[in-house]
Amino acid sequence: MTKLIAVTSCPTGVAHTYMAAESLQKAARSRGIELHVETRGAIGVENENTPDLIAAADAVIIAADTDVLEERFAGKPVVKVPVAQAIRDANGLLDQAVAAAKEQANRPNAAAAAPAKTQAAPAGRKGPYKHLMNGVSYMLPLVVAGGLLIAISFIWGIHAFEVKGSLPANLKMIGGAAFALMVPILSGFIAYSIAEKPGLAPGLVGGMLATQLSAGFLGGIISGFVAGYVVVALKKYIRMPRNLEGLKPILLLPLLGSLITGLLMIYVIGEPIQSLMSALTKWLESIGTTNSILLGLLLGGMMAFDMGGPVNKVAYTFGVGLLASNVTAPMAAVMAAGMTPPLGLWLSTLLTPGKFTREERDAGKSAAVLGLSFITEGAIPFAASDPLRVIPSLVVGSAITGALSMLFHVTVLAPHGGIFVAFIPNAVGHPLSYALAIAVGTVVTAVMVSLLKKPIEAKGENTK
Amino acid sequence: MKITELLSRESILIPMTATDKESVMEAMAESLAAAGHVVDKNAYMEALIAREKTGSTGIGFGVAIPHGKSAGVATAGLAFAKLAQPVDWNSLDGAPVQAAFMIAVPEAAAGNDHLKILIAISRKLIDDEFRSSLFRVKNAEELLALLETVEG
Repeated sequence: MTKLIAVTSCPTGVAHTYMAAESLQKAARSRGIELHVETRGAIGVENENTPDLIAAADAVIIAADTDVLEERFAGKPVVKVPVAQAIRDANGLLDQAVAAAKEQANRPNAAAAAPAKTQAAPAGRKGPYKHLMNGVSYMLPLVVAGGLLIAISFIWGIHAFEVKGSLPANLKMIGGAAFALMVPILSGFIAYSIAEKPGLAPGLVGGMLATQLSAGFLGGIISGFVAGYVVVALKKYIRMPRNLEGLKPILLLPLLGSLITGLLMIYVIGEPIQSLMSALTKWLESIGTTNSILLGLLLGGMMAFDMGGPVNKVAYTFGVGLLASNVTAPMAAVMAAGMTPPLGLWLSTLLTPGKFTREERDAGKSAAVLGLSFITEGAIPFAASDPLRVIPSLVVGSAITGALSMLFHVTVLAPHGGIFVAFIPNAVGHPLSYALAIAVGTVVTAVMVSLLKKPIEAKGENTK
Repeated sequence: MKITELLSRESILIPMTATDKESVMEAMAESLAAAGHVVDKNAYMEALIAREKTGSTGIGFGVAIPHGKSAGVATAGLAFAKLAQPVDWNSLDGAPVQAAFMIAVPEAAAGNDHLKILIAISRKLIDDEFRSSLFRVKNAEELLALLETVEG
């Protein structure tokens, strides 16, 4: 039998909300349809649709003129109408919902054919994880497009993009634009997942600040969650006189949401990051190049820790800085360690495909290219969606690669380019040892990721 | 909680002779002011009209439920009008309105008891039997007797 759930809501919350609920229930009773109706009115939320009810439902009816936290129903067929329509035509709505449920059920291979987004965020997962996955799935195309375009620009040689106005320069610029959007989009859509539409702007702003403050994607994850929950709190606690209620979504939520998120990012995240970066730089300088294997280990681990975040930047800047004084071994360690994270993840998607979503398995292929091109960002979507398991694996693999590179006395003369550096005569010292160092780190990372990651729950969530 | 705390005799308008939507709403709001539920009738009317603009409160089946939440409302109140002549309300089903409940809700709704009664009445309006009884009431006593049957 078809199981339906519904939400009704209206601005005043005394009349339409309840008449719509009554109307739907009456129609459902007379037709023997199982229906649970949540009302969001002036006396609060009643008969709330619990996660269990949502999971068991075949379709959802939303009859509302206000925000009803729709994202709870991601992956379910939803029939959405103004509240009045449920009063006027409850039977028609039930027909639509039943038809939508049938359509979903009849879809061949329903579980596999489900949109990638819902597959990436199975309802069985816990809240924060789901928000994270939402952000990652919107960020992923930017990483792929941006990374590949930058990699392509290297085809003309790794210095080709330095010629202003040339095609390689423009490709690099386009790729750079995509990369600049990466963290804001990650942050924005985490916040969107938490607070729906009003969360997006503060989330985007927070993510942009994370980029500007060198906080990297980890900073972007933080800003996304901060923005999302700040907006949820604002929605809940700001009460406006009814005739000014319209100001809330268009003025107050974006203004206060962005302001609070922004201030938190700058004062709570930004300032500590600045001091962390200068402390790390001093620390690396104090170690110097005397204990080269230890230095390689540290540089390697740092490169993989936050991929473009503050720790990574310190290591990279350290390596590049030494190039100027003709010390070229640390640059080799830095570059090798920046290549293994995407490479290791690519290998891991081949070793244990069952532990990755389809989206991730596809992203694995481009990660291989990005890894070879020393575009460490290729690993970010994987790291962002499961940071606690993925980041340690990346750090260990990169640290080993960094140490090996130093041990083998590999030298690299260029600050970027990855495998493309090898095409420049004498730019890499001991290239075969270098390849070995990278291969070992790649395998270590891949094995660790494959062991640590949990299999994707292939829960169909009642799509049958 | 008695229905009479919400619906005073002054606010039961049987029959109501006004022939257009605005006059009906004016008269009902006036009666809520007379009963003491509404202290600032203009503010309350504004809320009613603003609500009407977002979509007619004529819910169909000959019933309308104009309602407004406003600082001009002191305590939650209800008014009822049985129209001598059906009035066009831009209803969802296009049918003219024969009976109207007007709901006044204060900005800061104190306690849920009042709201619960109003909600129960709203729900009841979906019930065909309740509506036909409603259309049959001839005076305030009959209306109050009918509403007593609504569980808050």
